[in-house]
Amino acid sequence: MTAVVADPEAEQTPAPLLSRALPVVMRWVGTLAVALVVFSVLLLLKGASPVTAYTGIWESTFLRSRSLQEIVVQMTPLVLGALAVAVPARAGLTNVGGEGQIIMGGVGACGAFLFVGETAAPGLLLVAMLVSAMVAGAVWAGIAAAMRLVAGVNEAISTLLLNFVALDVLLFLIYQPWRESPVGQPATVELVDAAKLPFVAATRINVGIVLALVLAVVVYLALSRTRWGYKISVAGGNAEAARRAGLNVRLLVLSALMIGGALAGIAGMIQFAGVEYKLRPSFGYQLGYTSFLACWLARHQPFPILVAAFVFAALSVSGDSLQLDAGVPAASIHVLTAFILIAVLGFTASRRKAAA
Amino acid sequence: MTLCHPLLEVLGLTKSFGEIKAATDVSLEVWPGEVHALVGENGAGKSTLLKMIYGVYHPDAGQLVFDGHEAVVASPSDARRLGIGMVFQDLRLVPALTVAENIALAIPGGVRLRLGALRARIDEASERFGLAVDSRAWVGHLSIGERQRVEILKVLMTGARLVILDEPTSVLAPQEVEALFRVVEHLRSQDFGVVIVTHKLDEVRTIADRATVLRGGRAVLSNIVPSQHSDAELVEAMVGRSVADLQRPPARTSEPNGAAPALELAGIECASDGGHLALKAIKLAVRSGELVGIAGVAGSGQRELCEVALGLRRPRAGTVRINGTQVRSAAAALAAGAASVPEDPVADAVVSRLDVTGHMILNGRPLPARRLGIDWRKVRETTADADQRLGLRMAAPHRRVSELSGGNIQRVVLTRELSLDATLVVAAYPSRGLDIANVRRTQEILLERRDAGAGVLVVSEDLDELMGLADRILVMHDGAISGEVLPAAFDRQSIGSLMTGGAA
Ligand SMILES: Nc1ncnc2c1ncn2[C@@H]1O[C@H](COP(=O)(O)OP(=O)(O)OP(=O)(O)O)[C@@H](O)[C@H]1O
Ligand SMILES: [Mg+2]
Repeated sequence: MTAVVADPEAEQTPAPLLSRALPVVMRWVGTLAVALVVFSVLLLLKGASPVTAYTGIWESTFLRSRSLQEIVVQMTPLVLGALAVAVPARAGLTNVGGEGQIIMGGVGACGAFLFVGETAAPGLLLVAMLVSAMVAGAVWAGIAAAMRLVAGVNEAISTLLLNFVALDVLLFLIYQPWRESPVGQPATVELVDAAKLPFVAATRINVGIVLALVLAVVVYLALSRTRWGYKISVAGGNAEAARRAGLNVRLLVLSALMIGGALAGIAGMIQFAGVEYKLRPSFGYQLGYTSFLACWLARHQPFPILVAAFVFAALSVSGDSLQLDAGVPAASIHVLTAFILIAVLGFTASRRKAAA
Repeated sequence: MTLCHPLLEVLGLTKSFGEIKAATDVSLEVWPGEVHALVGENGAGKSTLLKMIYGVYHPDAGQLVFDGHEAVVASPSDARRLGIGMVFQDLRLVPALTVAENIALAIPGGVRLRLGALRARIDEASERFGLAVDSRAWVGHLSIGERQRVEILKVLMTGARLVILDEPTSVLAPQEVEALFRVVEHLRSQDFGVVIVTHKLDEVRTIADRATVLRGGRAVLSNIVPSQHSDAELVEAMVGRSVADLQRPPARTSEPNGAAPALELAGIECASDGGHLALKAIKLAVRSGELVGIAGVAGSGQRELCEVALGLRRPRAGTVRINGTQVRSAAAALAAGAASVPEDPVADAVVSRLDVTGHMILNGRPLPARRLGIDWRKVRETTADADQRLGLRMAAPHRRVSELSGGNIQRVVLTRELSLDATLVVAAYPSRGLDIANVRRTQEILLERRDAGAGVLVVSEDLDELMGLADRILVMHDGAISGEVLPAAFDRQSIGSLMTGGAA
């Protein structure tokens, strides 16, 4: 005797791709529109014409090859920094430590350069710097993971605090052992040409962007297609369910956070060897936090992160033209950025409410 | 003074989620002093209907009339303001806070928290409604029954006149059900309206004045008086056909051989989360091909017993062996062939990001590999096969488990665990939240596992279920096994007295 059970839920088909993608696109467009409108009001209040400002931004930012290149250069570390948030997020962890991990990545790369600088073959030198940066970033994030696993310290707090420690490490190094000369601004010696990232074709864009794009694909595949990605999703979605299924949750937490750290370390290496060439007190300033916001805007998804990083880089580049064209301070662009974030928050909240 | 209009009128509520029509044109009414039962199979749309009344979901069509006025309930806070309160199927208290703090979170009032005054009000209210609630206790330390009382108290203290209870009894032991029903009677006598979801017909008959039966999102019977309908009629209305009784299982055919038992616990001492001794000198064995029932009052150590057996909780003393291998971790227990149905599937087995297919491999067995990835094709095949064999008719493979109804989540977990070729099955409250047809099928499957040679341990507070299934019932009382009862001696009275620490 077997009871057969009828169920209307058994026969359902998945929604087609278009109807799933459309809301996402609408969300982006809607968010940007709301932010631009509110910002217009602000511009009007300051006596500037929004039309002039926006056309100015458009022309000087997107129609000039130089500023387009600048956007790509600036988005590179943001992509990696955001991936460094996205991977731990999948495991349910909040990595606010991008700032510190990027600094440590720069420090690691610089250390490798100073240590093996003259002796290694050029290609090998870059590889050594990259590996050293990854290890440094991973270790830095690993400290937070260890604090969580051993003492139960929340990683959102520990990664944040480690940012300040990382800055102290940086300052110590460039004021003391690694300082180029005792006079003038504290900084390390500039990289030799062999240690600088080459440019893409005839542009001012360093090859870091290629690495960032490749890693975005790799992260996407790792999260969605590998057994490890499945496991950290489970651990992040419900740690108790993971534990009951015999997964090693501690190891998964550690690996997700350290891989995040390594990605941030790469961001630091690229910023160092592709843009700044020296460690200064301001090295990588704000990259980690901006990445965090970009990741959040992209809801922790690797490909949307590319778009979000582009948007943030474009905003930063357009700040200058805003000053020239509309006569408002370049920093006003931060206000626009803030509006975008608030609009995203509003959209997210209203969607939650609708879905709850 | 008599009121001449219902407390709540639901008129033609309709709601779909994409393709899924969860509720279609449902109407019912609840008068003051009425207990209205809402029944229907898993996924019939009961929770969805209630969530529309409580403002969690917005209906696509239809309206609500509360207290004679058309009501727009855009959010739960609107509902609370009107005087509608709801206790959800999955309780939503914050375990890390005390009872008083949890209630403070729900009560409108000043920004400042006057816990002292609040505690007095809680004690006063719990007295008035016949709810035994200790305002100082940590919610994390309370049993499910106690948490439910806290939820009800919370709802009442926010001024509700209509109390909605979504499947309150499916997580309760019989004595707790009685206690809950006393509270409900209290509410009825004080002219509250109560809507209660249940899968058990005897409960409908005990407590409800009227009932509405949903099937596939439609009300097939509205506002009926249960006593005017036979059980068969009601079951037919719920599932669309009749459901046969469970056949008493034939006695074990093969006598256990000399091999190691499926599960062997020796000298187990173990602490609970709260730190007190939850298991005392437990010694038990479940042989292969045997179904052992664990009876006991809630909180007698059943939870800890299951967790120890599955390597999820480390005992202070004693050994656990599955199929002869000593087990010290969850991974080891799974490797030795254990499968388990957790007590609270939503909390312990469900990952909201994953779909049904994604849940099927969360069973502790090696993931089907394909290079670095997972062989999803194979997973889909085994899933379809498992669904076919077990016949619990899981939701479609791509559905996210977080959006399934409570009973349908339980069916996913059951299908996953009971389709494994396990040597030991530990099932805690396996029929929790299931409709009548699925309860029956689940019991059949447990017996099939037993007959296939697995040792099966079933924890339940439903003595009738245990007596219908088990080859042997062990009764737990206060962390120890207070007695063993064989089928010949199965009898509610004697088991009941063992459960409370008396002699058989
Ligand atoms: N948020 C949601 N998104 C998509 N579908 C949903 C959502 N909530 C419920 N559903 C679907 O609506 C239908 C009705 O579900 P509901 O939870 O109301 O059932 P139920 O009668 O309470 O069942 P149970 O007895 O199992 O608790 C189901 O098919 C369910 O999968
Ligand atoms: Mg339900």
